[in-house]
Amino acid sequence: MAILPRNLSFSRQILPILAVIGVIVAAWYIISGQPDREIVEPAEQPPKAVGALADAPRVAGAGVVEPASEVIDIGSALSGLVTEVRVRPGDRVAQGEVLFRVDDRAARASLAQADAAISEARAAISEAMTAQRTARQQLDLYRSLTDPAAVSRAEVIRAEGEEAAATSRLGLARARLAAARAAAATARTETERLTVRAPIAGEILAVNIRPGEFVATQGGSSQPFIQMGDTDPLHVRIDIDENEVARVKLGAPAVISPRGAAELHVEAQFVRAEPQVVPKRSLTNSAAERVDVRVLQLIYALPESEDFRVGQQVDAFIAAKDGPTDAED
Amino acid sequence: MLWIAIRMLTGDAQKFYGLLFGIAFSTLLITQQMTIFVNLVQRGASGVYNAPEAEVWVMDPVSRTTDVSYAMPPTALDKVRSVQGVEWAVPHLRAVANVRTKEGDLEGVGVIGVDDATLIGLPARMAKGDKSVLFAPDAVAVDDTGSLRFFPPEIDPVGQRLELNDQRAVIRGIADSIPSFTSTVVLYTRYSNALNFVPGTRNRLSFVLVGVSEGQTPSEVAARIERETGLKARTREEFAQAGIDFIIENTGIPTNFGITVFLGFVVGVAIVGLTFSLFIRDNIKQFGALKAIGVTNAKIVRMVAAQAGLVGLIGYALGVIGTVVFILAFSANPFFKGFYIPWQVPLISLVAVAIILAITGFIALRSVLKTEPAAVFR
Repeated sequence: MAILPRNLSFSRQILPILAVIGVIVAAWYIISGQPDREIVEPAEQPPKAVGALADAPRVAGAGVVEPASEVIDIGSALSGLVTEVRVRPGDRVAQGEVLFRVDDRAARASLAQADAAISEARAAISEAMTAQRTARQQLDLYRSLTDPAAVSRAEVIRAEGEEAAATSRLGLARARLAAARAAAATARTETERLTVRAPIAGEILAVNIRPGEFVATQGGSSQPFIQMGDTDPLHVRIDIDENEVARVKLGAPAVISPRGAAELHVEAQFVRAEPQVVPKRSLTNSAAERVDVRVLQLIYALPESEDFRVGQQVDAFIAAKDGPTDAED
Repeated sequence: MLWIAIRMLTGDAQKFYGLLFGIAFSTLLITQQMTIFVNLVQRGASGVYNAPEAEVWVMDPVSRTTDVSYAMPPTALDKVRSVQGVEWAVPHLRAVANVRTKEGDLEGVGVIGVDDATLIGLPARMAKGDKSVLFAPDAVAVDDTGSLRFFPPEIDPVGQRLELNDQRAVIRGIADSIPSFTSTVVLYTRYSNALNFVPGTRNRLSFVLVGVSEGQTPSEVAARIERETGLKARTREEFAQAGIDFIIENTGIPTNFGITVFLGFVVGVAIVGLTFSLFIRDNIKQFGALKAIGVTNAKIVRMVAAQAGLVGLIGYALGVIGTVVFILAFSANPFFKGFYIPWQVPLISLVAVAIILAITGFIALRSVLKTEPAAVFR
């Protein structure tokens, strides 16, 4: 007990000191244990209005990138098996360029048939002409005779009949030729219709057929055979809530950011507003989508850029008219 | 003279420790119960604190808390983005779904859909995995307390497959989140995934989370959003408070804990009061002697105050240390995850201890002050 003072008392001295130390330790624990409820900055950049729009009245909308011509779903006039596909996705095609061909063997066979009928009709014509000529010569001969007794009346009638028969045979053969020609033209049109061509110059966006597949003109529920569109420039179709429509400054440029790359801000030029306010097409991919929101669709032209693709979703900010609501701020 | 009072107090070890026990016990009861109460009702705000980026929450006018919400049409997001002072706004989906585990068990879960591109709305930290795992197809992150309810501890939840509304979901990470009041399992996923996981209703957007531009205050922006869009906008603090108020209004928790805290107070008064009175009565002769040698009443009051102060200090310290040890001991338990001792609570119990000692000291003193020096001879 030499170290400790003689009259050290547990309850009078040690306990109060321990109590003070305990309170200090507890206070430190409590203060350091307070939860962290600070607001943190987002790790990634969310879409936001920038530049002049950041601090001005504005309207926001979501949209989808589309070709300037909108997407053209190429169809086929006739059904049949695909024999040849000339384009691949991403190809640029000129107007009238062949996209794909449908099996044309049947059409070619009927063309050959029509050609044969033409030859046959031609042969019939020349045969009828020959017969007509012979009959006419004979008739002329009989008619040139001055002596009526030289040839019998019956003989003349027969010759006249032969001439008339040959003439009508010739008429028939000519009519057959015309019919065969018409059939050939039909067969040629048919072959032409089995070749599908690009309606405009543009880019192939999707090819959903391969040689050997059957293209049907009936039904139409399946996906389009080929999708193409004029992708120079690209347009965006921006949905604006009907309640906000009155605020939009039509004609003003829009600031567009693609989804997932919000740090990118592209200025797009106004093209037009759709005349109709339509139910919003939600992009949730749900089969049973029901909506009660209507939107005005605005079309904007994007500048030349590698960052946008057809079908991509974008966020857009458009300048708003100076409304009365802003006066209150 | 005060030292004599302290010696007098500690002279009777039984009564001294009895007094300490009384104070320590009521401090422990008050502090610990109030701590649990505060933490429990703050669970009602966990949804708000789990989305640390949002400064303003926008919702349908009838929505009340993070869990009691009515969905809005999808264009509400664009409306909010159109409001001046909104730096950014992202969609936030909160819904319930039924999940089927590999064993075939059915379990109700909360599904939280966070913004697809930025993942705003996820808790600040991940316990396992990185936030970017959510970009994988069908990926979900489960909350840490929920994962324990879902899977036995020996199974690693990461990589487990679940079935949600006939859709495949793969757990790719564990979020370090504050559990909700009901401690349901929470699955965090991207907004577009969440739309598939939750059975289809017409409107799905539960909340729009808003960041405020520089130079604007959240309450200004919230007021402007309310005025311009007709939706309800609440700042983070207001919405957290709404969650807490909802629990207080709709559960018996405040009554229960209030009763316990009151009992702690009563027990403190009873034990300390009784012991203190007994102690004073036993020492009445000594006080008489002190009076006989001319000690004034004021000095005696100071002596009793010193005795009460020492008892209070040590007892209070023991009680607070007990609470700290309690919270430390249970911090590993998932139910107590995120529990902390609000700094106000020990101060409240300090005031309570002071009141207990003041009441009991006053009662005990009355007899002393009335004592005549002659009491020494009785």
